[in-house]
Amino acid sequence: MEDVIQIRTWLTTLIGDGLESATADTSLAPHAGDITFFLVTLLSCVMAFALIMLSMFMILWLERKILGRLMDRRGAMTSLRSLWVGENGVTAGEWWKKIPFGLGTPVGAIVAWLNKTAGNRDPKNPTVDRVNNRSWYGLAIFPGFFQNIADGLKFMTKEHMVPSRADKFIFELAPFLVISSTVLILGMIPLSSQIYGANPELSVLFAFAIFGIAPLGVFFAGWASNNKYTLIGGIRSAAQLTAYEIPMLITILGVCVLAGSFNFLEIVHFQHSSGSWFLFLMPLGAVLFLIAMIAEVERIPFDMPEAEAELVEGWWTEYGGMRWGLLFAAEYMRTYAACILFAIFFMGGWHAPFAGLIGRTPYIGGAYLLIPGIVWTLLKAWLIFSFVFVWARAALPRIRTDQILEFGWRMLLPLAFIQLVLVIIYRLYLFDAGSVHDTIEGGWAWNLYGIPFGLPILITVLSCVLFYWLLNDEDPVDTKERMFHVRTLEPAGKHVAGTD
Amino acid sequence: MAQMWITMGPQHPMTHGLWTLRVKVDGETVVDAKAELGYIHRGVEKISESRDFLQITPYCDRLCYVSAMTWANSYIYAAEDLLEVQVPERAEYIRLISAECQRIASHLMWLGAYGPDVGNLTIMTWALRDRELFLDLLQELGGSRMHYNYPRIGGVKRDIPIGFADRLKAKVQMFEHRIKEYEMLLDESTIFLVRLQGVGYTKAEEMVDAGVTGPNLRAAGVNYDVRWAHPYSVYDEVDWEPAVEKPTSIKGADCYDRYRARMFEMRQSCRMILDAIDKIPGGANNHYANDDEMIIAKAPTRAPEGATGFSNYECTRGSSQFYIKGGGEGRGKKPYRLSIRSPMFITIPYIADTMIGYKIADIPAIMGSFDPCIGETDR
Repeated sequence: MEDVIQIRTWLTTLIGDGLESATADTSLAPHAGDITFFLVTLLSCVMAFALIMLSMFMILWLERKILGRLMDRRGAMTSLRSLWVGENGVTAGEWWKKIPFGLGTPVGAIVAWLNKTAGNRDPKNPTVDRVNNRSWYGLAIFPGFFQNIADGLKFMTKEHMVPSRADKFIFELAPFLVISSTVLILGMIPLSSQIYGANPELSVLFAFAIFGIAPLGVFFAGWASNNKYTLIGGIRSAAQLTAYEIPMLITILGVCVLAGSFNFLEIVHFQHSSGSWFLFLMPLGAVLFLIAMIAEVERIPFDMPEAEAELVEGWWTEYGGMRWGLLFAAEYMRTYAACILFAIFFMGGWHAPFAGLIGRTPYIGGAYLLIPGIVWTLLKAWLIFSFVFVWARAALPRIRTDQILEFGWRMLLPLAFIQLVLVIIYRLYLFDAGSVHDTIEGGWAWNLYGIPFGLPILITVLSCVLFYWLLNDEDPVDTKERMFHVRTLEPAGKHVAGTD
Repeated sequence: MAQMWITMGPQHPMTHGLWTLRVKVDGETVVDAKAELGYIHRGVEKISESRDFLQITPYCDRLCYVSAMTWANSYIYAAEDLLEVQVPERAEYIRLISAECQRIASHLMWLGAYGPDVGNLTIMTWALRDRELFLDLLQELGGSRMHYNYPRIGGVKRDIPIGFADRLKAKVQMFEHRIKEYEMLLDESTIFLVRLQGVGYTKAEEMVDAGVTGPNLRAAGVNYDVRWAHPYSVYDEVDWEPAVEKPTSIKGADCYDRYRARMFEMRQSCRMILDAIDKIPGGANNHYANDDEMIIAKAPTRAPEGATGFSNYECTRGSSQFYIKGGGEGRGKKPYRLSIRSPMFITIPYIADTMIGYKIADIPAIMGSFDPCIGETDR
């Protein structure tokens, strides 16, 4: 199944044809192909970076909106509403009435219903009204969307200071390490089958090798700042690195084993042509990947390196101005990269869900298949960001460094190995290589004893049952037993440093 | 690994105020800790010696900026003991209701500050939002959001407004449901339990020896609540019970016990308020004039020579005590000496000892669980 936007093919044809005629009968003629490749790669890189950077504003905006509303009392219901309603009921106007042919009528009905059920003027919820009594400034649509630009401008106007006793060279080098390695990841990640910066044969390995560079920069920054808080933050980052990187890489190894490739494009195409997203084949792997990725990008609950409660701002305490802003942006870039990676590994990337079923429907089918792949990739990434990353940040406290070490080594790692073994069994014994089809419907390679899509259905049902069972397994409030104990050192005066 | 001293404070996210905690760490482990207080000492005791008995109340409001009403009441009871005033019962009920509203607001401030301590920002916004409910109620009484200057020697400044009782009941009943929401967010989160349980053990005997009082002591199973042990005001007439937790470990109470004790105490305050607003003499829906004898009793402005006044009051953080010595005619309307016993001043050095042996990440968890307030500590 081919994407609608064949941008690389178009570019290659356009530039290639132009160069061929331009360099005909000159000494450059033998190099026309190389120059074309160079130019196409350059343009693709620019395009891929521009698309990711511009769409990253959406990530910042989504976090601002959804986190703000989850922290509100009204929860997810108002999160939806706030997409078109600003604070204190200020709306973007009834824009749905401007859509031709009355297509916006359902939107208007939903808005009316949300205003009725989750409106701020509800007399039963006086606090919402009381606290939301703020004025709202902004453009007419997407309230708050341009706040990020204002924040960026603020960072640019701030002074850059280096602490007097800091290791100046390393102090200046560390942000470059963190930011450049982060941007480099984005060059490897395809947004659709034709929109990517570069596509080496082992792009998965390459991307994750780069992902591992940033903690080094964090450690440099922590050490070079000559500050005790940054030092502890940097060392925490280095300490927790192995605890989540190894389970994450083993999980990704499972993905690659299942797809039979270390290449992003082939992994995505395999999910389509074999008939099932990997989310339904390895849900355990998906969960492990998400947990490890939250740790990798250092968000709550795994943000011990910056732990603002005890370490002020962790390893970036001494950074200010645009360097701080870029480090902050790098964190969001990594988060965004993690979301896109999840969409690529587990949610079929740029392939439309139920492409065969909806695509065969008369009238709407053709329109459905005309949606460009990049739209699906971004939608899936935003979905994962809103529902997993933002929600986890809103709901969970921060855990301790020793606890993530224990969690990583004693739970994530064995589970990752179990997932790998399961995946090898699926691929070796349950995979029907003859039923892989690269059509609009995709294939049906995961049938189980003749049941169509038997394996993904079975695994998904079993996982849901297991999840429900684990969800209702414990009730610590009623039992009032201490589930957890920590081992501590001897009290003061008895402990001598260096003796144990 | 080499040991080093880290100075946390006076401006640090952990401190909840302006003070300094110096910790000696061995890697991530705390091997020694010292509390250094006095950064915002304002000399309230000395200032009071040049103020009228009535003028001291606003200074006592500012002793603790999140629990102004209880501190003002605490002073007022000492002044009434000194000046030998008989307070009308309706005023006592109003004081009880306002103090319990303040207790809930103060515990909500603690809960809202404790969330970021362990990394959860949602509970901060939720708790501070619901604190607004009670600040609105207190604003109806005192006219201000933080420092009310509401109690007077012999009564209160003004009666409860018309409709106050209905709003109070509605908000308290709604708040009882909100406590369940907090528990759904916190107690059912494994990470929250991992951070709190087994951290910051305090033994009951040690705390009694050190003089720790309030919810921190009751979390360790000691049934000592001044309102219950030595009932002042009308606390023996309303329906409640002290918030005593039974710790499950022989090591004593951990952070989770202290968290539970405060949540329990908020529920008891709700119960007390709902009972008191029904029992209030003179009717909850009547409004008396400011100088009515139901609201305020006549009080002398000068204390006799050599007279002393004393109050032992259950503030939100423990037992606060005021001792006033009247100056007689020579000092006019001013006290000769005023002395304040602050619960947190006694507790904070004890907390510094408590956190030895735990990790750096446990410092805010332990410190926050004791609910420090530096305003009253440094006075």
